[in-house]
Amino acid sequence: MTLLSVSNLKTSYGKTTVLTGVSFHIDEGETYALVGESGSGKTTLIRAIAGLAPAQDGLILFQGKNIRGLSDRKMRLFRKDISLMFQDPVGSLSPRLTVGGLITEPYRIQGMNNRDLNAEAIRLLEMVGLPADMAGRYPFQLSGGQARRVGVARALALEPKLLLADEPTAGLDVSVQGELLNLLNDLRDQLGLSMLIITHNLNIVRHVSDRMGIMYLGQLVEEGTTEDVFHHSKHPYTRALLSASPKPDPHAKMDRIILQGDPPSLLKRPSGCEFRSRCPFAKDICKEKPEWNETHGHNVRCFIPLS
Amino acid sequence: MSDPITDKETKVKMSDHRQSEFLKIVGGVAKNPLGLIGLIIVGVFVFCALFADWIVPHDPVGMNIKDRLQGPSTTYFLGTDQLGRDTFSRLIMGSQVALKVALPAVFGAMFIGLTLGMIAGYGPRWLDNFLSLIFDTIRSFPTVMFALAVVALVGPSLQTVVFVVMATSIPIYGRVARTQTLALRNSEFILAERSMGASLFRILGIHMMPNIIGVLSVLAAMDIPTVIALEAGLSFLGLGVKPPTPSWGSLLKDGYALIRQTPWLIVAGGLPIIITTLGFTFLGETLRDVVDPRLRKNR
Amino acid sequence: MTAPLLQIDGVTIDYNTKKGNLRALRDISFDVNKGEIVGIVGESGCGKSTLISTILQLLPQNAEWKKGAINFKGKNLIACSEKEMRDMRGKDISVIFQDPMQSLNPVITIGRQMVDIQHRSTSPYAEKWQKSIDMLSMVGIADAETRLKQHPFEFSGGMLQRIAIAMALMSRPDLLIADEPTTALDATLEVEIIKRLKDLHKEMGCSILFISHHLGVIAELCQRVVVMYAGSVVEFGSVDEIFFNPKHPYTRRLIECDPGHIKERAKRLPTIPGEIPDLTEALEGCIFQERCSETIAKCKTAPPPLVSVGQNHQAACWLNHNQEPE
Repeated sequence: MTLLSVSNLKTSYGKTTVLTGVSFHIDEGETYALVGESGSGKTTLIRAIAGLAPAQDGLILFQGKNIRGLSDRKMRLFRKDISLMFQDPVGSLSPRLTVGGLITEPYRIQGMNNRDLNAEAIRLLEMVGLPADMAGRYPFQLSGGQARRVGVARALALEPKLLLADEPTAGLDVSVQGELLNLLNDLRDQLGLSMLIITHNLNIVRHVSDRMGIMYLGQLVEEGTTEDVFHHSKHPYTRALLSASPKPDPHAKMDRIILQGDPPSLLKRPSGCEFRSRCPFAKDICKEKPEWNETHGHNVRCFIPLS
Repeated sequence: MSDPITDKETKVKMSDHRQSEFLKIVGGVAKNPLGLIGLIIVGVFVFCALFADWIVPHDPVGMNIKDRLQGPSTTYFLGTDQLGRDTFSRLIMGSQVALKVALPAVFGAMFIGLTLGMIAGYGPRWLDNFLSLIFDTIRSFPTVMFALAVVALVGPSLQTVVFVVMATSIPIYGRVARTQTLALRNSEFILAERSMGASLFRILGIHMMPNIIGVLSVLAAMDIPTVIALEAGLSFLGLGVKPPTPSWGSLLKDGYALIRQTPWLIVAGGLPIIITTLGFTFLGETLRDVVDPRLRKNR
Repeated sequence: MTAPLLQIDGVTIDYNTKKGNLRALRDISFDVNKGEIVGIVGESGCGKSTLISTILQLLPQNAEWKKGAINFKGKNLIACSEKEMRDMRGKDISVIFQDPMQSLNPVITIGRQMVDIQHRSTSPYAEKWQKSIDMLSMVGIADAETRLKQHPFEFSGGMLQRIAIAMALMSRPDLLIADEPTTALDATLEVEIIKRLKDLHKEMGCSILFISHHLGVIAELCQRVVVMYAGSVVEFGSVDEIFFNPKHPYTRRLIECDPGHIKERAKRLPTIPGEIPDLTEALEGCIFQERCSETIAKCKTAPPPLVSVGQNHQAACWLNHNQEPE
């Protein structure tokens, strides 16, 4: 069952186009990872889905209903089911509220004041593995890992159907990253959650996502199951990304694909295939715009995909 | 490890700790010597103003011609004025007027300025431009001219003074509130609240306002002496409170005319203005230092 | 054998805080040889910021030096005057930070900043300008001459970091301290910066002290590695020894936890449960004991010293002592 379906989504900021037509879908119970670097538009995309950034064209269908361009009032009905976790763990918590107050905000906003919010707060803290006495603390008193968990508790307070997570492990120490990812996986199984995770860290994608998409300059260039993309990547950019992560192994072979030049500015998009200015395999045909090729769920936007 | 759900002693604190935070701030101010002086002066001022009716040694408005223009003595600490009224009692009474003007003017201006500033900072561009224009226009009027105009329309009184002072102070708070709102508008926690569907009132009232009011309180503390001096100035020009109500400004006015007969009226008018101005300034500056590093420490 | 360029010996630093004395660095000892790249691996709270401030003698007011010595080119830095330190900072020892904007002034052009930091040199302006152009080209910024006239906001994060590196290396320092310079960058940019640092290192022969919690980068760039935890050095040695033969439980667990290390999809990712201990409390025994899964009785009573566990390899763990011949 398709939970979220994004069709040809376009956003611009003034004269600058950020998303040039993004299409993908997430099924119920699935975790989808959107991978891209700065400038790829992944943050804009996730904000557009959450109704925080306006999108000029395209469709965002949640359980079949279009949520693009909805007024704040109409969008509120969906906010119970679509919840967002932000990149800055401490900065996304209102500094004057206590942890208890923060994680029960969703109840108050949705007008569910008749519940015993005290009990809910304790339940939520327990769900994310934090002690009950943490409810009285303020955001500035929390470590990055603790603040991150408070963010998870808040995001899952109303048991949403879809969790959007913006760089969930950013800023976390390596020894703590695993804890958060394990927590997300457990909660996903417990609550039947679907997740859309955006990140530039390929290392964690392998362990949390079922399917993934690679974004470049506001468009998907490759998409498939995590296995397929990792082991049989087709797009040169995907290959470059995969080869870029330094391995914690001093003897690792470094047959890296080094990209030439810097990412082009959004104001001066290359014509044809937008990746060709940095692609080590670019040929003449790349001056045309490549189509999106779908092959058994492993899709790629390239004239000469790698094998 | 006890089960947190059944452990009755675990009380989840939902609301802000406004009370304990307030006490912490007062404590921080008291630790600083200048701040302590400020607190004492302001304390004395407020005490005099609140209990003036009970603590004045003589009737500040009753005429007593046979005792006119006396020098300081054990009965009349600062002597008497041209109508035989005890100058010291009039000084103490004047503090009540000062407070009656300063408090409503400053706090009224602060709350109106806060609201308008938040609307300007958070609302659409055209509204921001419109409100900023209003702020700038008001600030560009010399206060005394504005007061003259209002008095010409309405007639002099305590209410006029409060109105004039409040109206001219609103832009001060408005501009600061607007800047703070603009800065916080795109912060992640505001986006987070929006993503949960928080209404405009909730965002402004619960999440923006507490972060702005600290800065505005510091401004208010520094503004009060200005307001007191303003009232004194207006009263000196005869645009303020009507006689026989004593205000420090009217004491200065009388004292100016009678300076050869008794210099004590000027002292009774000028000295309290100077001392309370210093007191509030010390308080305000120390408050700013106490509030600021706390915000910075919260990183 | 020539003396090491930088020698840190038993350095202990406390911070006087409201909650008591916080021991930020505990008996830190390691050295950096000429022309070597040494990595410091550590997570939050390991003391790396304090370490950098100590080397540069830029500690805050409430820091207290308890004991130890820092020798740089034979000079004891702790005994140096502020003037002597200022002469060294930016000239013999340079620093680059995680956020390049910590090194750059947002309202002044890059060119002017690059010329300004050459203030010690008496060469004419034109020469300094040319040197700036050369340095920018060396870090791979195309069209250097035009770029010098631009302001920091006109560059991307990766380019700013390269400019910061260019500025740091302009004076050809003996030691470059790099504090998490690639942590905030995307993977492809990170890889580029590492490559540049390697090339520059080969060309200039400076020593680099590279601090990061990213194990992959450390493995690729560094020749020797120091592992720090909660203000102590728990292990140090050659990069091969540390990654293939780690002799401290923390190092072992850290390598296990690194997601890049785990090749296949894992149901549950390994972690190191718990947090660093409260550094204001007095410590009895090993600093890692609360989170270690291999503790023995001795770990709780006495702090283990750094002992040799192989060629060019030292670790501070009682488990290694059981293996020593009696």
